[in-house]
Amino acid sequence: MTLVQVKNVTKQYANGEETITPLNEVNLEVHQGDFLSLMGASGSGKSTLLNMIAGIDEVTSGEILVEGTDITKLSRGKLADWRASHVGYIFQTHNLIPVLTAYENVEMPLLLLKMSAAERRKRVEIALEAVNLTDRATHYPRQMSGGQEQRVGIARAIVASPTLVVADEPTGNLDDETTEQILELLQRVNNELGMTLLMVTHDIEASEIAKRQIRLERGKLTERQSESTNREITAA
Amino acid sequence: MFQFLPYLLKGFWGHRARAMLTVSGTAVALFVFCFVSAVQDGLLRLTQDKQAQRTLVVFQENRFCPTSSRLPQDYTKHIAELPSVTGVIPIKVVTNNCRASLDAIVFQGMPAEKLRSSRELNLTAGSWSAFEGADDGALVGQAVANRRNLSVGKKFTINEVTVLVTGVFQSPTTAEENLIYTHLDFLQRARGQNSVGTVTQMEVHLSDDADVDHVAATIDAHYRGGPVATTTRTKGMFQADTLADLAELIGFIHYLGYACVGLVLALVATTTVMSVQDRIKEHGVLQTIGLRPNRIFRLIVSESTLLSTAGGLLGIGAGLVFLSFTGLAVAAEGVTISFRPSMDLAITGAIVSVVVGVLAGIIPGIQAARTKIVTALRQAG
Ligand SMILES: Nc1ncnc2c1ncn2[C@@H]1O[C@H](COP(=O)(O)OP(=O)(O)OP(=O)(O)O)[C@@H](O)[C@H]1O
Ligand SMILES: [Mg+2]
Repeated sequence: MTLVQVKNVTKQYANGEETITPLNEVNLEVHQGDFLSLMGASGSGKSTLLNMIAGIDEVTSGEILVEGTDITKLSRGKLADWRASHVGYIFQTHNLIPVLTAYENVEMPLLLLKMSAAERRKRVEIALEAVNLTDRATHYPRQMSGGQEQRVGIARAIVASPTLVVADEPTGNLDDETTEQILELLQRVNNELGMTLLMVTHDIEASEIAKRQIRLERGKLTERQSESTNREITAA
Repeated sequence: MFQFLPYLLKGFWGHRARAMLTVSGTAVALFVFCFVSAVQDGLLRLTQDKQAQRTLVVFQENRFCPTSSRLPQDYTKHIAELPSVTGVIPIKVVTNNCRASLDAIVFQGMPAEKLRSSRELNLTAGSWSAFEGADDGALVGQAVANRRNLSVGKKFTINEVTVLVTGVFQSPTTAEENLIYTHLDFLQRARGQNSVGTVTQMEVHLSDDADVDHVAATIDAHYRGGPVATTTRTKGMFQADTLADLAELIGFIHYLGYACVGLVLALVATTTVMSVQDRIKEHGVLQTIGLRPNRIFRLIVSESTLLSTAGGLLGIGAGLVFLSFTGLAVAAEGVTISFRPSMDLAITGAIVSVVVGVLAGIIPGIQAARTKIVTALRQAG
């Protein structure tokens, strides 16, 4: 089933006289249960694409349909509501709220959804268990290691069972061993929880755990078909 | 709406030094505001009191200080016979200080039975019979009693007048609580007074349908050529005239009240702007999670409102406690203005702090809500 449809999306920045076009008429389809990795040179527009799909950045032109809704047409308020129930965002630096405990950070997205306190509690516990941090629930971000913080960040992204989880270089700030743990965790999120994942990364090894590998070059997307061939993705 | 309250409170705790400084600054400003308003209320009450508009005070013409006004006591008889006059009370006033003072003592001597019928005194200690039974007996207003630490049974001397405290009273007219009532003849005979047969002023009570100005004019006209000419005004006018200089000063103090409000606004707004700038990225994260821009705005306004309300309540509380314990009053020429705490004062103060808090949050709130998420997320921190 097609979950996300990126249709002829262009992103331009006017920089004085000059215009930069990181994304030029880009097309992409993401299916339910996919795990996509998005690679590309620095400054190629990976974060921009990811952010537009996550509904936190605006397209210059084109459409992004998620489960049939064109999110580029939603008002800021409606879009926020849509994100609350449909998107989990994993940042490069965890971006936890420093004054809240791990538990409270994970609970935050649920405060926006209609559910009982008991249901909320249960969901937070499940999410913390999934990232194996039940024993750190009452710790503050400053009391945790970088890897632990990132796991809390992942728990926060999945706690509301979003339609789509996006991650922008989730292992960019971590050492090799921690990177491995996080990647394993992301794979479990995809395999065991069945969530659709879109991950931007610079790391080839990281990209290989994904089911589909996409590259962004000079404003266009290509998908790796086999060991050595890439095919440009064009409008369906 | 309240599900984000823990987040707000923990935010204050995380920056407790900043929050505490803001709260205490607000508290000090509201304390001063409270004080200024109490002074103004006191003056207003004195001059706008309903009763004060329907009672006349006869004073010697061109005299201001009670020590220099001497009216023959037998004027009472003639005045009492005028149409619409229901009663005349001869009053001897003695004060230790004719100029503006925060600790003026004002004695008013009048016949005991008139005192009892014309003033609504509520004795909190002592009794009327004790007062009536003692030549040098005195009923002391609650505010003076607090200030001078007077209680029933104590003797008390000021300006060579020595009285025995036979009662302490409260009055619905708060300015009264700064007076000491004695027997008229006692005060006339008191050492250094030697004024038997004369009084300082006369208080004239009128029937409800009386033409107040007409009666006043009649009295003054009658004595114009007499041994002592008079000036007759309503009690409210008399008090306003007597306190004219002070009133001007107090009118000016008004601006101090506005300055306090401005100060709180600047203080809370500064804190809020700082706290918002510290957390641009955090607000970006919250929006990414799904908080509407509108909600971010409300969070910031709630934050500034909570701070200023907390400080405001603290300052008002302290102000009311201070006012009620010190029984502070300013007196000039025998008339006193009392600074009393009141429910109105508390409510005004609370409204001021809430409104100022909301105003202080609006601009930083709009800023935070308008910042693009991707821009916010790019911020350091
Ligand atoms: N607000 C902006 N104004 C102008 N240009 C911008 C703005 N934001 C991004 N860009 C430009 O858009 C291009 C794509 O940026 P983006 O952050 O998406 O790249 P990226 O592929 O994620 O890079 P990296 O791997 O370094 O994170 C860059 O050339 C960047 O300079
Ligand atoms: Mg990037």
